[in-house]
Amino acid sequence: MSLKEPVLCKRIPTQPWGNPKDRKIITYDQYVKTGGYEALDKALGMEPAQIVDLVKDSQLRGRGGAGFPCGLKWTFLPEPDGGRRYLCVNADEAEPGTFKDRLLIDYDPHLVLEGIAIACYACQLDTAYFFIRGEYRHQAQVVENAIQEAYEKGIFGDKGLMGGKSKFKVECYLHRSAGAYICGEETGLIEAIEGKRAWPRIKPPFPAVEGLFGRPTIVNNVETLAALGPIVEQGAEWFKKMGCESSIKGPPSFGPKLMGVSGHVNTPGVYECDLGIPLSTLVNEYAGGMRGGKKFKGAIAGGISMGILGPDQFDAEMDFDIGKKYNVMGLGTACPTIFDEDTDMVAVARNIARFFKNESCGQCTPCREGAQWIYKLLCRIERGDATSKDLDLLLEIAGSMGIMPGTTICGLADGNNWAVRTIVNKYREEFEARVRPSCVAVGMTVGTS
Amino acid sequence: MAWIVKPSATQEIEKRKKPYVTDKMAKRFETQIIPRYEKKQGALMLILHEIQHEYGYIPHQAMIEVATLLDLHPGDVLDMCSFYEEFHTQPVGKYVIGVCQSIACEVCGHQAILDHIKNKLDIEPHETTDDGKFTLLAMECLGACEGAPCALVNDDRHDNLTIKQIDELIDNLPD
Ligand SMILES: Cc1cc2nc3c(=O)[nH]c(=O)nc-3n(C[C@H](O)[C@H](O)[C@H](O)COP(=O)(O)O)c2cc1C
Ligand code: SF4
Ligand code: FES
Repeated sequence: MSLKEPVLCKRIPTQPWGNPKDRKIITYDQYVKTGGYEALDKALGMEPAQIVDLVKDSQLRGRGGAGFPCGLKWTFLPEPDGGRRYLCVNADEAEPGTFKDRLLIDYDPHLVLEGIAIACYACQLDTAYFFIRGEYRHQAQVVENAIQEAYEKGIFGDKGLMGGKSKFKVECYLHRSAGAYICGEETGLIEAIEGKRAWPRIKPPFPAVEGLFGRPTIVNNVETLAALGPIVEQGAEWFKKMGCESSIKGPPSFGPKLMGVSGHVNTPGVYECDLGIPLSTLVNEYAGGMRGGKKFKGAIAGGISMGILGPDQFDAEMDFDIGKKYNVMGLGTACPTIFDEDTDMVAVARNIARFFKNESCGQCTPCREGAQWIYKLLCRIERGDATSKDLDLLLEIAGSMGIMPGTTICGLADGNNWAVRTIVNKYREEFEARVRPSCVAVGMTVGTS
Repeated sequence: MAWIVKPSATQEIEKRKKPYVTDKMAKRFETQIIPRYEKKQGALMLILHEIQHEYGYIPHQAMIEVATLLDLHPGDVLDMCSFYEEFHTQPVGKYVIGVCQSIACEVCGHQAILDHIKNKLDIEPHETTDDGKFTLLAMECLGACEGAPCALVNDDRHDNLTIKQIDELIDNLPD
């Protein structure tokens, strides 16, 4: 079940179809020569509502982490009322272990811009902000240049889309962030564009109804937008031939997916695969196998927030069912970090806890304080100073934070919750070997349990 | 996320006569950045980037000037500067070395790289050398995990770092 042809990586040499060494930035001219902006041309010949229906039919699910159906999200928008409507392109990509959007931004920015133009036309959004993380400095320049090219060629700007083929006008601006993971959360991102602290908002109202500057707003991931061109060009049926149906009667996982493999493998990098490819195939056939022939010990499922796949879950299928089937939070960004047999899982947990402690935005007490305590407890366990009741306390604090237990505003705390709990539960013996037994049993409850 | 706690009521703000936001800059902000946003405050992040690019950090006086330009309270600007890690409110070294400490980099040996730089420059993360040449930062995932361990040196990223490479890199940076 491997992809026959690259879709998103059509112009970016990627194994097994091309050599990553040959990658270069695709300019507007090269993009157009290889069929670029034909999808936009086709889209502009359709009614906006037809495009929304097409995307709904394709069952494209968001590539930013949550896997929410893209077409469905678009239908939450109210009818245009003459006021401004926004698209925010989520290129924050700060989830540790994730680097798939960077590939598209680095080499084929026009693929994303074409998707932006299609989304703006389909949803009648007049302004797009390309929100890119601060650490992507070279990439910001690439996007800036591409946007400028697109303006010069009339894709965006005063005349209307594609130099006036449609009267509908779209403006597209680059917005550089400044180093805060929480900007990836869609309402945090909106606050950041408004020029405020990226404090996620309480929902509802959802951004589609009341988003940027209080106006209807769609937030989509870079890879989701990049998939729009191919879908418009080749149709929903074609798209659904890739990927897989759900094996547990859930919603399907159709389409190709960029998967960034890192950690202890021979050739880490981004590969384009069918959704549903087993992790072991991804590692062995795409990423060159385990480094030094070592044994597989575990893998972060798709960004650290999703939690960990244990030693017996190497064959887990990388699709949107993965959460329910393998006891992780979900597929996330589909960028697994692989650990070999020599990895210290206590150190992994401590590293992850440090990340969440640093990146909590501080609005909700369970997340802000809980993240600190989780980190302190894990440091104590790593040093060998902890007792077994610390381990229980750790699980209790972790389990009490997040949207799902209902104690926080955004999903960052759920990420911390799942990461810590799955690591401790799947490698319990390793943690127990590091703690001393405690004499007193505690029955303390922290937060809601 | 840095929670900067300072006795703000008694804090002296260093002032100079010459404004940080020059007329030329203000004009550019007004014609090129502010119109992109429905509300003026939206331009704040990009303007702070520009100021930091110009002066290497964001002085308090500049915050007040930006606040005036955008019809904001200076506190709104400080709010932004203190929340986002990339904005410096104090001068930093000529070269800012940011070593990634997130998961893929840690399991691929970032500690050895970080320790080596610490010893070589004799500073801890988030400190600057006495000559003002280097600032060392421990950063979270740079989105380049395939090249772990990696680091940003000012605007350039360096992947698959080894101790030898980092030595060469640091030794060859001009004063
Ligand atoms: C803490 C947190 C961080 C997130 N970071 C990102 C991110 O870096 N990039 C991204 O595309 N989505 C991120 N998301 C998901 C977004 O909130 C949102 O679901 C996504 O951008 C929607 O786009 P999609 O439907 O195209 O996937 C994050 C969510 C949370 C809760
Ligand atoms: S859960 Fe954490 S990151 Fe999210 S809003 Fe609350 S404090 Fe901020
Ligand atoms: S973990 Fe270091 S770049 Fe991602």
